[in-house]
Amino acid sequence: MGDSVNCREASRLLSVAYERRLTAQELQSLQGHLDKCFMCRNFDSQLRFLHQASQRFRTKD
Amino acid sequence: MLRLQPKKMPPVAPTTDPRFAEIEGHRPYLLRYALAQLRDRGLAEEAVQECLLAALEGIGGFGGKSSLRTWLTSILRFKVVDLQRRAVSERSHVEFDEGIAADDDGWLDELFDASGHWRQAPQAWSNPEAALEQRRFWEAFEHCLDKLPPAGSRVFFKREVLGEETEAICKDEGITPSNCWVILHRARLGLRACLEKNWFGKEAALGR
Repeated sequence: MGDSVNCREASRLLSVAYERRLTAQELQSLQGHLDKCFMCRNFDSQLRFLHQASQRFRTKD
Repeated sequence: MLRLQPKKMPPVAPTTDPRFAEIEGHRPYLLRYALAQLRDRGLAEEAVQECLLAALEGIGGFGGKSSLRTWLTSILRFKVVDLQRRAVSERSHVEFDEGIAADDDGWLDELFDASGHWRQAPQAWSNPEAALEQRRFWEAFEHCLDKLPPAGSRVFFKREVLGEETEAICKDEGITPSNCWVILHRARLGLRACLEKNWFGKEAALGR
């Protein structure tokens, strides 16, 4: 794997990070991409929100 | 702690019980919960119906210490276990789901172009936490969950809503962990796109 990844791969890493620990190389590639890509930064925030909303969904009245 | 009535009581008439509407409002969530465990729509609906009846009968025992949804779910769990036993012995067909096979990546090509860029850029959602307090947001959320394929919906629900471990979910579904991750990724992408279209996106926001 090169120094950075494209959006398709970055989005996959952002998602799988909720399931397992990313390797050091994966983290580096992902961060390198996020530094340059606002779209994937948006996606990152959205994933965090989905996670929060899902947990709230379980217990909301 | 609710003590369920051991004998059959006549069903409470919906229109006379003031709590009926409130309890009924949780039906979609409970159905989703039951579907995730039972994977059979008929059985899931039966479980939920029994749960709601039991809840109406036992509402006097609900002290309000947990949320109503949590309390209803605890009743539903009993019903689900009962029906799970029945599902194993009576099932005459196997529900066949698309989306379990992780080899097919075609759906990713719809979202990303040949260079791996987003075909449609995810927008910046302004103050998304505020949406959590709006009833109509949750209607949109449930609508978007409904649009997921059955396997994705189940796996996402168990993982993200119920917080179950991936290993346990994979075992239940009979799939490998990496299949599981692909299914979750697809569900998240689908949900995200749907919520952006129906709630957070500029057009949706203007239309509200």
